[in-house]
Amino acid sequence: MTEAVRFPYLDIEPSLAEASRLPYLPLRFKSNQHALAASGLLDTGATVNVLPYGLGLELGFVWEQQTTPVRLSGNLAELPARVVLLSATVADFPSVRLAFAWTQATTLPLLLGQVNFFLEFDVCFFRGQSVFEVRPKPRA
Amino acid sequence: MSLTELVSAVQALPHADKLRLMQALVVELARDEGIPLLSDVKAYPIWTPYDAFDAASTLLKALNADNAGA
Repeated sequence: MTEAVRFPYLDIEPSLAEASRLPYLPLRFKSNQHALAASGLLDTGATVNVLPYGLGLELGFVWEQQTTPVRLSGNLAELPARVVLLSATVADFPSVRLAFAWTQATTLPLLLGQVNFFLEFDVCFFRGQSVFEVRPKPRA
Repeated sequence: MSLTELVSAVQALPHADKLRLMQALVVELARDEGIPLLSDVKAYPIWTPYDAFDAASTLLKALNADNAGA
């Protein structure tokens, strides 16, 4: 089994320290012509991965060219979203294909959710130690 | 009202009100220090798409089609 890589939680609001600490995972994206480093929030409650609008543009996606609509819930239900696929690399693990709901919302973080980030990676949270571990799912 | 009178008044408060008073003082002190706190007058959006199972199904179909075409 591939050895897990450990990452620290990040203090989003330094003055609040422990209270604002969240599991943001650094990863690298590659679309058809663009490569980009990003940081995604590991959100176990999110049913899907969500790509903020601005990040999608930076990756070279054109809204009008993405033809598969997807309906989100909660605050995101108010805005349209479309399916995009990306190659993503975490640490030195082999790259994987991730599907995202690319939303027109701009102020949310990049969300890594159940479909399909948590289908591709096993994650252990050690909140008491402010670290989490990630490893690719075992391949059959 | 003097501090002595105030302390007496506070001591006479029910337990729950003492806790509310303490909470209010902590918030006020934090504001004085410029420490940002969760505010009761500000809206905090929750972006997490809970139970968006149709969306999840759509993403999985797109991934399967992508795999089939690879």
